[in-house]
Amino acid sequence: MNHFFLHTLIFFVSSLFLDADVVSEKKWFSETPQNHADLNAIQDRLRLILSEAKKSLVAIESDDGAGSGVIVSEDGLVLTAAHVIGKTGKKMKVRLPNGKSLPAVSLGGSEISDAGMLKITKKGKWPHVQIEKMNSSKVGDWCFAIGHPGGFDKERGIIVRLGRVIGKTEDTLQSDSRLLGGDSGGPLFNLNGKVIAIHSRISKEPDQNFHVPIECFHINWDFYRKGQLLTFDQLEEKGFLGVSCEATKDGLRILNIVEGSSAQKIGLQKNDILYSLDGEKLDSREELTILISGKKPSEAVTIEYHRGEKQLSLRVILGERPTE
Amino acid sequence: MKILNQIVLILLYTLQVHAYKDLNNSKLLIASDRLNGSSVQNAFGSSKEVAIQATVRLLRNNKLIALGSIVHPSGYIITKASSCVGAREAETFDGEKYSLKIKKRYEETDLAIYKLDTDKNSFQVINWDLDCNTSEGSWVLAAHSNLEEIRIGVTSGLPRKIGREGGVMGVLLTTDTSKVKGVKISEVVPQAAAYRAGLQEGDIITEVDNRRVKNQDSLIKIIGKKDPGDVVRIKVSRKAEIKKFLVTLGHRSVTFDLFNRNLRMSGPVSKRKDNFEMIIQHDLPIGKESMGGPLFNLDGKCIGINIARVDRVSTYALPAYLPSKVIAPFLKEIP
Repeated sequence: MNHFFLHTLIFFVSSLFLDADVVSEKKWFSETPQNHADLNAIQDRLRLILSEAKKSLVAIESDDGAGSGVIVSEDGLVLTAAHVIGKTGKKMKVRLPNGKSLPAVSLGGSEISDAGMLKITKKGKWPHVQIEKMNSSKVGDWCFAIGHPGGFDKERGIIVRLGRVIGKTEDTLQSDSRLLGGDSGGPLFNLNGKVIAIHSRISKEPDQNFHVPIECFHINWDFYRKGQLLTFDQLEEKGFLGVSCEATKDGLRILNIVEGSSAQKIGLQKNDILYSLDGEKLDSREELTILISGKKPSEAVTIEYHRGEKQLSLRVILGERPTE
Repeated sequence: MKILNQIVLILLYTLQVHAYKDLNNSKLLIASDRLNGSSVQNAFGSSKEVAIQATVRLLRNNKLIALGSIVHPSGYIITKASSCVGAREAETFDGEKYSLKIKKRYEETDLAIYKLDTDKNSFQVINWDLDCNTSEGSWVLAAHSNLEEIRIGVTSGLPRKIGREGGVMGVLLTTDTSKVKGVKISEVVPQAAAYRAGLQEGDIITEVDNRRVKNQDSLIKIIGKKDPGDVVRIKVSRKAEIKKFLVTLGHRSVTFDLFNRNLRMSGPVSKRKDNFEMIIQHDLPIGKESMGGPLFNLDGKCIGINIARVDRVSTYALPAYLPSKVIAPFLKEIP
C-alpha cells in the first residue's frame, strides 16, 4: 500500500513538472506553428478561453448606431471605441450575449487614439475579463477578435476571428483578425484570455485591421474614467506647442518642429527628449496632447527636457493651432 | 421589417476606413508568418495537399466563376449551382483542363453535380467528416482559388438554419403613414427593381397584385412572400394620377449593395446566401468565386461545402452531412 502511494505521489509530482514545462514554453502564445501538434495547441487554447471571453462582450446601442464593447470590471466599466460613444454623458444601451439590455452612460476617451469608455448604470455583478498589462503584447502574438459584426444577432451569436499581431506602435495595433462594421469597440484578446486592444478601423486588405492598443487606456485611465473626451474639434481651440514626437523609454523625442510655433520660438530642437510638462511625466504622445489641449493659447507651461547629457527646463507660452 | 432591417444596418458604427496601408513601422510581422502566410500554411502538411488536389476551378469563357469539390475518382464534382450557370471547363491543380457536363441540380441546397469529360479514374476525392466536429474556434482550411495555396481560419458563430430572404423592390419607405392612404416611397435604390420599372420617390403605393396596402407591414408581408425574379403589379398614386407598374423583384444582397457600407467594404458577395437548412460559419478570406469548393478540418477531412460568401468576415458552408446525403442516390448509380 505504501509502495503504491509512493508511486502515485511520484507520478503526481512528475506530471506537475511536465505541466509546468508546457506552460512555461507557451509555444502557442506567439510562435509560428510548424506542424499539426503546434496547430492543435493553438486550437485547444482558443477553445479553452473563448467561452469566458465571450461572456464579457456587449453590443452597444444608441439612437444613431451600434457597436461592440467589453466589460472589464465587476461594476460594469466597458471599454470601447471613441467613435462608438461619440460624446460623454450620453445615455446608451448595452446588450449582453444573452440579449439582455442594460442602461449605460458614456464616459471619456480620445478621438486621437479612438479609445472610449462607458459605464453600465444598473447595479450588479457583471461578467468581466482582465486587461493585459502595459507593454506586454508584441508583434507575433496570436490573438482573436470577437464582436457583433453587422449588429447583434442572437441566432448567429458572437463572431470570433483568429489572427496574429502584425504591427504595433504607441497608438495603433495592427492584426490580421478580420473586422467589419459593428465590430467597432469590440475586444482583441491574446491566448492568455486578456484584452490587448479594442477594434477601431479597417482598410481594404484583409490583414489591414487596426485596433487601439490597451496601453492607450492604461496611460489615460483616470482622464477617460472621469468622463473627459479628447476631440479633434477641441484641439482646434486649445493651446498649441508645435512638436511631433515619438515615445522612448526616457520620454518623448522630438521628431519635427512646426515652423513659426511656440516650440520653435523658444528654441526647442529636434532630438530633444521631453521629460515632463508642469511636473507630469510624459509617457506617450497622447498624454502630451491631452496636457497641452487642457490649456488655452497664451497660457504658459513648464517643460523639462534632456538635450544630450544636459537636463534643461523652460517656460513656454502656447500659441494657436495653425489652420490649414 | 426586412427592408427596415436593411436600413438599420446602414447606421452601424462602421469602422473608419484607413487611407494608408500597413502601419508605418519597420517591425511588421513578415508575411510568411501571418495567419495566412506560407509558413503557417505549410504547418497543415498533407491536409494542405489534399485541399488543393480535391478542388477544381470552374471556368466560363476562361474566367473563374466557382470552385468544385471532387466526390468521385472518375471526375464527378459538386459545386454551388447558382454560381456556375454556363460553366464550360474545369481545371485541376496540375493545370489539366477538362470540358464539363452538368448532371444534376438541387435547388434546395443550391448544389449541382458536374462530370469532367475524361476516362481518368484516379482523381483525389474529398473524404467526408460526417461527425462534423466543428465546435467554435476550430481550424478550417480551403484551397485558394489559384489551387497553389490554401486559406486558413476558424469556425465562428453558431451552426444554424438561414431563412429565406424573399425578393425586394429596392425602395425605402417612410415611417409616417398618417397622412397618406397607402405607403409612401422615400427613396428608390438606383438600378434596382423598382427603379427600372419606373417608380419614383414620393409615389404612394396603394395596391400590390390587386390587394390594398394600408401600411408598411402589409406591403412588406406581400412582397416578402415572393422570390427574386417574380413579377408583381404595383399601383401607385403620383400627384393626382394613378399609375400601374410591373416590377420584377431583385435579390436583397444585390439590391442593397449600394446602400450598405459593410457590403461595400466586403467586396463582391454571393447572390444567393439565404434559405439553407443548416450552415456552419467561418472567417476564411476567400472570394465569391471560391464558393462550391470543399472546406476541411486540420486532419484534411471535408467538413462542408462553401456555399455563400456573406461579407468580409463571414462565409457559410453546408455541413458535410447535407451535401453527402443529397448526392448519395446519384453516386450509387455511377457504374
